[in-house]
Amino acid sequence: MTSLTLAGIRKRFGKVDVIRGVDLRVADGEFVVFVGPSGCGKSTLLRMIAGLEDISEGELRIGDRIVNEVQPAKRGVAMVFQSYALYPHLTVRDNMGFGLKVRGVPPHERRQRVEAAAATLKLDALLQRFPRELSGGQRQRVAIGRAIVGEPDVFLFDEPLSNLDAELRVHMRSEIASLHKRLGNTMIYVTHDQIEAMTLADKIVVLRDGQVEQVGTPRQLYERPGNLFVAQFIGSPKMNILPIEAVAGKLPGQPKTASLVGVRPEDLELTEPGSGFVDARILISEYTGASSLLHVQLPSGQVFLVAHDGEAPPADTSVGLAVEPGRLHFFADSGRRAD
Amino acid sequence: MGGLTQKQLRIVNQVCWTLALAVAAIPFVFPFLWMISSGFKSASEIFGSPSLVPREWQWRNFVDVFTYQPFARQYFNSLYIALTVTALTLVISSLAGYALARLRFAGAGLISLFLVSALMVPEEVTMIPNFFLIKWAGLIDTHWPLIMLPVFGPQGIMATFLMRQYFLALPRELEEAGKMDGLSRFGVWWRIALPMSRPALAAVAIITFLNSWNLFLEPLIFISSLEKFTLPLALSNFTDPYGTPLWHLQLAATTLAVLPILIVYLIAQRQIIESFALSGVKG
Ligand SMILES: Nc1ncnc2c1ncn2[C@@H]1O[C@H](COP(=O)(O)OP(=O)(O)OP(=O)(O)O)[C@@H](O)[C@H]1O
Ligand SMILES: [Mg+2]
Repeated sequence: MTSLTLAGIRKRFGKVDVIRGVDLRVADGEFVVFVGPSGCGKSTLLRMIAGLEDISEGELRIGDRIVNEVQPAKRGVAMVFQSYALYPHLTVRDNMGFGLKVRGVPPHERRQRVEAAAATLKLDALLQRFPRELSGGQRQRVAIGRAIVGEPDVFLFDEPLSNLDAELRVHMRSEIASLHKRLGNTMIYVTHDQIEAMTLADKIVVLRDGQVEQVGTPRQLYERPGNLFVAQFIGSPKMNILPIEAVAGKLPGQPKTASLVGVRPEDLELTEPGSGFVDARILISEYTGASSLLHVQLPSGQVFLVAHDGEAPPADTSVGLAVEPGRLHFFADSGRRAD
Repeated sequence: MGGLTQKQLRIVNQVCWTLALAVAAIPFVFPFLWMISSGFKSASEIFGSPSLVPREWQWRNFVDVFTYQPFARQYFNSLYIALTVTALTLVISSLAGYALARLRFAGAGLISLFLVSALMVPEEVTMIPNFFLIKWAGLIDTHWPLIMLPVFGPQGIMATFLMRQYFLALPRELEEAGKMDGLSRFGVWWRIALPMSRPALAAVAIITFLNSWNLFLEPLIFISSLEKFTLPLALSNFTDPYGTPLWHLQLAATTLAVLPILIVYLIAQRQIIESFALSGVKG
């Protein structure tokens, strides 16, 4: 089976450095998710792995082969595009079998493999249809089917669910998860969606400006973000950050080098004024059903978010904010985690 | 008007439009019908009776057309030349258009500029150098200039730009999917870009075929032997020894000459409509 190694990968478009030195190891069978703000180079990196973009510098290995100069179709990778990119002039069957046909797989085998993939994805009844006659979710399944049929070593997904509505998205997400479980292939997945990233990934790669900020399991990134950027990028709503001087007294576990402290909205609890680590006044409370999102103002003027279960106090109430000691994140001036 | 339902209103609306369009179509359709009917009349009846239905059906006209001059041969000339020009133009314009749309090569901008500027030069200006070129090549009184000039001239360039625009609008991801499926650059063009460009190809085919079919100036300049004539020349050649047109023959011949255009138009139009339904990544 297949692991993947990126060593010192760089990409330049003209004079612009888009990927600025990425080192990454993807183990065999791992589900890796790339996340990062728009324009950080997730798609570019994925397309370099696919072979759709040249690699300006560095070395890409798939298995034990250096594939920098290998054609896309010979890398043993398959890609599912955001727009699905189904061939509009071919039926579902021909769409799925197209790659096999190009590779010269004989018709009866082609038929078998297309039908096996169609059965897996519940597409049997749609094989004679054209893409325009399918719903969004069905098209998405055909796009995945087209990738499966080629029996690639590595699957690449570029925001495959972003064109689906919320409900279908949740459904397809679980289908992709079970597909990964069943096939056991290495998969690399690009998304904007936190929940997708957290639920699907064995390993998340956080990218910013063409560089890797942190690599880790969803739990590691959430519980021990390596720097301010990751801390604020992972988790929703975003982590609250406060200069350490704004806190009266010393916080438990506070390292010497720390200059900023972070705490997640869901880790904050309301207490009596004066009994928490900092006081605050409630500005607004947004009721979201399961819980309320409170906007509270600290004496320093800064606004914090608090995820609060149960009855929310009315606006203008003074409260204290408490937090379990282990739930505080300390950062140095440089933005790196300090502990 | 308060008594009309939505549906009745729609019908009234439709009837009015149909009538208006029918009236507007008269100036276009009438000469066409007149041509066909006159093709069946005797020379004297054409100007004698204004009726669209011939008093006496002169089927003989359609036989005389072929005996007066080698009309079958001339008809074939036009047909094979137009088909050749159309085929060559389709191949070249779709290849060149694709290259201009998708390949990044040195001098691409310069080539585009050069081609566009060639479009600005009127045909009257290029005719004389072209004539000397053809003469120098020894191709006077052959069909070569009738094929080469349209394919590589302004019409070919127009077709190339039309194709280029169409290719530019095709979603790139489809072609990338083709690459991932193992297609070569040429394969992507042939098996993905081309099938998706049927409306553009059909448009180019219609325009090119029509142009070649109606070409008059070039055959007039380059062709002198009767059996090498193309239709437009042949049609103007149905005259008596004094140069007066033999209207009944000319109109019968013209009626025959229009048929292929109708056929090409019908085929190409179906392509255009069908493929509009197909186009687009998402429906
Ligand atoms: N062909 C190209 N030529 C020049 N610049 C490009 C090209 N493709 C991408 N870029 C630039 O590279 C950067 C990264 O683009 P990329 O598409 O990889 O971002 P992304 O992380 O996928 O963003 P998004 O989340 O919005 O999809 C962007 O600044 C983009 O403008
Ligand atoms: Mg992207």
